Amino acid sequence: MKKISVETMDSMKKEGVDTSKNWIKVGMSTCGIAAGADVVYATLLDEAKKRNIEVVIKKCGCAGKCFAEPLVEVNVEGLPRVTYGKVTAEVAVTILERHVRNKKLVKDYIFF
Amino acid sequence: METKNLDADLERIVKKWKDKKGSLIMILHGMQNLYGYVPRETALKLSQTLDVPLARIYEVITFYNYFKLEPPGKHNISVCLGTACYLKGAADLIDEVKKLLEINEGETTKDGLFHLDVVRCLGCCGLAPVMMIDEKVYGKVQRKQIAEILQNYH
Amino acid sequence: MPHKIILVKDTGAVENKGVDFNTMLANQLRDSGAAEKASIVPVADIGVYDKGLVLRILPDNVTYSNVREADIKKIIEQTVLAGKIIEELSHDGRDKQLRIVLKNCGLVDPDSIDDYIRAGGYQGLRKALLELKSQDKVIEELKKSGLRGRGGAGFPTWMKWSTAKNQKTDQKYMICNGDEGDPGAYMDRSVLEGDPHAVVEGMIIAGYAIGASKGYLYIRAEYPLAVKRIEKALEDAREYGLLGENILESGFTYEMEIRLGAGAFVCGEETALIASVEGKRGTPKPRPPFPAVKGLWDKPSIINNVETLAAVPQILSNGGDWLAKIGTATSKGTKVFAITGKIKNSGLVEVPMGITLREIVFEVAGGLLNPEKKIKAVQTGGPSGGVIPKDFLDTPVDYENLGKLGSIMGSGGMIVIDETDCMVDLAKFYLGFCVDESCGKCAPCRIGGYQMLQLLNKISNGEGELADLDKLKRIAYAMQKASLCGLGQTAANPVLSTLKYFEDEYKAHIVNKKCPAGKCKYLLMYKIGEDKCKRCGVCVKNCPTQAISGNREKGFTIDQVKCIKCGNCTEVCKFEAVAKE
Repeated sequence: MKKISVETMDSMKKEGVDTSKNWIKVGMSTCGIAAGADVVYATLLDEAKKRNIEVVIKKCGCAGKCFAEPLVEVNVEGLPRVTYGKVTAEVAVTILERHVRNKKLVKDYIFF
Repeated sequence: METKNLDADLERIVKKWKDKKGSLIMILHGMQNLYGYVPRETALKLSQTLDVPLARIYEVITFYNYFKLEPPGKHNISVCLGTACYLKGAADLIDEVKKLLEINEGETTKDGLFHLDVVRCLGCCGLAPVMMIDEKVYGKVQRKQIAEILQNYH
Repeated sequence: MPHKIILVKDTGAVENKGVDFNTMLANQLRDSGAAEKASIVPVADIGVYDKGLVLRILPDNVTYSNVREADIKKIIEQTVLAGKIIEELSHDGRDKQLRIVLKNCGLVDPDSIDDYIRAGGYQGLRKALLELKSQDKVIEELKKSGLRGRGGAGFPTWMKWSTAKNQKTDQKYMICNGDEGDPGAYMDRSVLEGDPHAVVEGMIIAGYAIGASKGYLYIRAEYPLAVKRIEKALEDAREYGLLGENILESGFTYEMEIRLGAGAFVCGEETALIASVEGKRGTPKPRPPFPAVKGLWDKPSIINNVETLAAVPQILSNGGDWLAKIGTATSKGTKVFAITGKIKNSGLVEVPMGITLREIVFEVAGGLLNPEKKIKAVQTGGPSGGVIPKDFLDTPVDYENLGKLGSIMGSGGMIVIDETDCMVDLAKFYLGFCVDESCGKCAPCRIGGYQMLQLLNKISNGEGELADLDKLKRIAYAMQKASLCGLGQTAANPVLSTLKYFEDEYKAHIVNKKCPAGKCKYLLMYKIGEDKCKRCGVCVKNCPTQAISGNREKGFTIDQVKCIKCGNCTEVCKFEAVAKE
């Protein structure tokens, strides 16, 4: 048992959810998975490791933009935070190489 | 599936639930998860173990759409007939599957390969019309694609 | 000046001599010597619709809409190079959505309790247990907030809680209704999957407020991922001492368990849901006694819907007044809608109460799927709701307004209907659903629904009489008045509201034997257009009833008596020569 204290809760709240500067989130709810988010998530994990790209890759819930699933949100230092939609395994690799490594936005897949 | 032991499986599930109130539905879920349906032997045995009349158990099984009394096919096709899918032509998809496999809703093909169910909303309205074969979801399905999709499972 | 990024959503609205907007923009950037100062990124969607070509400049985060070729120069000079905002082009790019219930969906990892706590989670529980330290004060916050049940009827949540709190008994129960059965609504699934801890926290707070020591989460078995995530959430909360004995050292002890639904729409009704949690057939009971007095195992029980519970933690942590500032006089806060049907961007939207349907459809969800078609109506409330015709799209959305229009808020299904959808067919679809799902206990619902469905079938098959419309209304009225539970009482709503606003369409089916939308297949006639027909004969081979006769010299015709309207001929014809009328 590791009960949490109120103090710990407060300090965690202060730090916020995204403690790392560079992260990728993949929407992994039923709708996203149906559209292929599980493949995208696995590809991101695999390829980031293979290509030695340092970025935190997380899963998250559905943001509601079902028409654009699978959705991948990317935050990289020095670039605005964007959400890519209708991402395929190939686009996922492009996001890693172009967006995360070379710090350039990937064309044609940004949704909002 | 034949290798599974009905009695042992049931005993295990009942043991987990028997001290909790109102657990009949949860036990039935447990069996259906293992076998894909609720075998008659299970219901009989359950009636004895829980000391509940068989009719009470069947009353519950037949009330809920989720519980099946027949073994499923090798592949289970669920065509969604939620509102979004309906508006986007799900009825045509059902007709096509019926035509191709020569079965009706709730039936299994003679060779036991496919079972067809019509379901209410798989929760993927953004991809409507949707059909699901086993765990795989096919979105924005067109009537013409169905033969090809089914071909993958032959 | 920092490097600018210009996001462009090119709608094809601006084109000059075959050069697209991006090229024009790139050329002018180069000519102004600004090529190095900005980069152009075409995007798939920018979230602003019906406003021509839209671009957004980062990091300034300004949005320009209805941009024309002539504006390019100005944009480069003023915004890109000088960092000034051009007022006349700028578009209020603020999102009309307001995310409270969906706040964490897409933000936190649903399997991580740490993520949830980092996002401010469990602060509501902490406030209830360690600061307010009183059931009454918690209920008071709910009262201030004005939160009403998001499952359908919109009953004030605090009132329910307060009734249960005042019951003197040894045991009370808290139940979460996650049996989302409305076909076309899936916000509960999204919340359970995307932010399970919010529901868990809401359940614990509710349990504390009413004085329960046990909670049940009743979730559809068809949502296996939601069940898995809730299981994990319960486990983690227990480990952190946020669930179980002596929560946060407050002395409050509370346990929770999952119960699976098994596919019965009627189990969304409180008393039927209770029967189902008890492991029985989900048949409703007459009320009163209300569950808040005599519910699960005859003990006072409160049932709240997923979306309602997910709003509770934030009401506690931010205070009731915070929520009361959002929404209309009678309906506070936000509502999540699952907008689907003939809409461009199907999905979940969370909007403040009081927003108009038009804003939701055209601004938030991007307008119609096929912009060439006209919108006919919006359906809300699923099988218990009604249609709202396009003339009322400017109505602010709240419980009362939707009720006045003959629909309901319901659980939040919102189906956009365009002119190619037939209202009789739609009414038939919803009624068919309720007939399927009627538990059969009371006669008005069991028999009334079936009889109405027969009448609708008769009408859509072209055999209807005008007297049938009166019969429909009479049966509907009887069902509303005499059915035992909400399912039967509301099952006729889709029929009544389509009759109210689209009686002409019904009459077209009955009098003219025509389906104006071309949906009801028995009223259609397939005809081979001589001008388009190349006399290949493919249709003849594919007709299952040999209804097509003729030969390659004279051409082909369809025998309307033999034709079963299967549509095969239309589908196989490569020349689109077979038309539906």
